Amino acid sequence: MSAPPTYASAPRLQTERLSLRPPRAQDAGAYRDFYADGAASAFYGGPLPEHRAWMRLAADIGHWSLRGFGVFALVHRGETVGGCGLHHPQGWPSHELTWWLAPGARGAGLAREASEAVLGWARDALGWTAVETHMKDDNLPARRLAERLGFALHRRETFPDGVARDVLRRPLGAVGGASA
Amino acid sequence: MSAPLAFANSPRLETERLILRPPQASDAADEMAFLASDRAAGIGGPFHPMQAFRSVAGLIGHWGLRGYGFFALEEKTTGRYMGRVGPWFPEGWPEPEIGWSVVGEAEGKGYAYEAALASRAWAYDALGWITAISLVEATNDRSAGLARRMGCTQDGTWTHPLDGWVVDIWRHPAPEAAA
Repeated sequence: MSAPPTYASAPRLQTERLSLRPPRAQDAGAYRDFYADGAASAFYGGPLPEHRAWMRLAADIGHWSLRGFGVFALVHRGETVGGCGLHHPQGWPSHELTWWLAPGARGAGLAREASEAVLGWARDALGWTAVETHMKDDNLPARRLAERLGFALHRRETFPDGVARDVLRRPLGAVGGASA
Repeated sequence: MSAPLAFANSPRLETERLILRPPQASDAADEMAFLASDRAAGIGGPFHPMQAFRSVAGLIGHWGLRGYGFFALEEKTTGRYMGRVGPWFPEGWPEPEIGWSVVGEAEGKGYAYEAALASRAWAYDALGWITAISLVEATNDRSAGLARRMGCTQDGTWTHPLDGWVVDIWRHPAPEAAA
């Protein structure tokens, strides 16, 4: 019987500046602060009160148990500065590469660095041959980062929330630097 | 290595007819079906499938954050999922709670009572709780009946800060009295 990996066996990834590990209780403050900041979390359903941010964290943890993959916490110099990983709630038509960063950690290329590590992990550990992501039309920063990561428009889809989004796809032949 | 979710040594309780263990992926379909049904009205539902998925993920993640949470109830004779009962204390909750909700086919069998007694004893013994509450909607007679049967007394109401969801607080007997 092949059960998905449990959270206890979840991976850790290391990049030049970041440690990526599944989220845990110590990340509650980072989630709280991020979702309390309405401008920073606008594309993530924010702002959210503390108890909702806490349940987001709990759901991100449980996602690992349900799917065998999930969103990593990004630790930079000992501080949780954001998250990056693969997210696929049931009922949603596609998985997505997703990331979030605290405002103070933006503009330094950390989302790209983390995303490249996650793409490599999706290929090597999960055996995926492609990763998808999607965003609302007005989320230009996410769109730009996705394109820099080698994602290209794959289709347009109307999601269960009624919003049409571009779905971008990145084949996983080669990750980081060279394009596929 | 410190496991973020200590499922390796997670508790497993046994009652006469049930096994109580942390929820896992194989419970998700049954719990989501429950959350999408009218039976979930007493806990803010019924929920859209995506919300239901998040809720199930949250049930599991609560274990990771608190080290305890709702137990999944497995019927010993069939191995089937009967619902979830256990200690619950998400951020913003007024106090640690013993919560319960069971699937339709578990109703009328006393499973919730059996599991809630075991969960309360575990919360008092293993977690060191010195008191516990259960939150019940005023219109949920069946759940209020279970609280009474467990020796709880009504202790005011609580309004959920965001949703304006008003529930009765039922206070459990203290560990010495409940033993």
